Amino acid sequence: MAIFGNLNHMSLSDLLPFLSSQQGALEIFNLERHPGVTMYFNEGMLTCLYLGNKEADALLARSIVGEILGARKGAFEFLPQARPRRCSQLLNMRVDRLLVSVTTTQDEFAQVREQLPHPKTVFKIAGQTAPQDSRISDFWQKARSHLQAGASSEQLAGDLGMPLDHVRFYLHRLRQLRAVEPVRARPKTVPASGSAASRLLGALKRRFFGTNKEKVWSH
Amino acid sequence: MEPLKIVVTGPVGAGKSTLIRTLSETEVVDTDALTSENIGKETTTVAMDYGTLHLGDQLLYLFGTPGQDRFDFMWDVLSDGALGLLMLIRGDKPEDFVAARKQLDYITSRHPVPYVMGVTRQDRPPVWGPEEVAPFFGLPLQRVVGINATDPQSAATPLIRLLELMLEDQRAV
Repeated sequence: MAIFGNLNHMSLSDLLPFLSSQQGALEIFNLERHPGVTMYFNEGMLTCLYLGNKEADALLARSIVGEILGARKGAFEFLPQARPRRCSQLLNMRVDRLLVSVTTTQDEFAQVREQLPHPKTVFKIAGQTAPQDSRISDFWQKARSHLQAGASSEQLAGDLGMPLDHVRFYLHRLRQLRAVEPVRARPKTVPASGSAASRLLGALKRRFFGTNKEKVWSH
Repeated sequence: MEPLKIVVTGPVGAGKSTLIRTLSETEVVDTDALTSENIGKETTTVAMDYGTLHLGDQLLYLFGTPGQDRFDFMWDVLSDGALGLLMLIRGDKPEDFVAARKQLDYITSRHPVPYVMGVTRQDRPPVWGPEEVAPFFGLPLQRVVGINATDPQSAATPLIRLLELMLEDQRAV
């Protein structure tokens, strides 16, 4: 007896509920955006997730599961009784809760896709209040030190090994919570000296208002 | 004396080309093309608008950026080394605010350029005013001015505010 197939015919959201009650490993390969992914289950829990040879923490595991939930390209095979070679930090995430959490995030992501910041926009920390939502607080903990000095979604995705769109989503949510804000870069050097700016200002007012005093424009 | 550059940016239809035509003392060079999608007007800027303005013996170049996201590489090209940035939004078109915020955040977080936001169409109520726009964009109210881009005095107002704020910043250093 074997369990195998293609994500095009059977999505991860169909597979996980019935596989999670078993002990073993789900290997997923031929994915578009990732090397092979291996998920280990035991007693309804996702205990460990490997992205290639890299062991994922809870934040990355949620991101990967989220991406594979929407994937329509990729093959899978379940290996009953397989155990992780090593698992330095057990995830022990209940699969039913994980599915709800990840699906909710995916829905939220779809709703705000157009509002997500440009990948190169630089953000910095605006407040020290840690977000309460565990989905965001995990990201906050990992990204906070990078955001102290200012970082873009693109930089964070590279540094944290996360999908770019997920980083953009988390930064968008953190901005809504006023935990981060975009950096407003200050001029490194003043292009026009104080006297030059003053001279330009005077000339501008004389040109358009015929005086050094600006009239208040009213509509 | 080296010419200085002012960049006028904002979403499609915000009034960038209009403002540059209103302020420029030379005929504006534009790179308009017929629109291939429904954006509410027949032509749109695809590379940049260009006008000039002499203030005393100082020449200012006025550059208008294309509004569509797919020309975002032009935002960097034009913003590099600019004296200042004027971000325009249409006060009667709040559906563009999110895209405008994305554009403003992108440019101001990457380029150390002083900026002011101009909210156009203040002569055509109902319209969002500076007091409503500033908190949406997370900006100090002093950086947001209401304007009518077709009126020369009004169109000059954001430029005046920009220079005033630069002076304030320089005094604070």
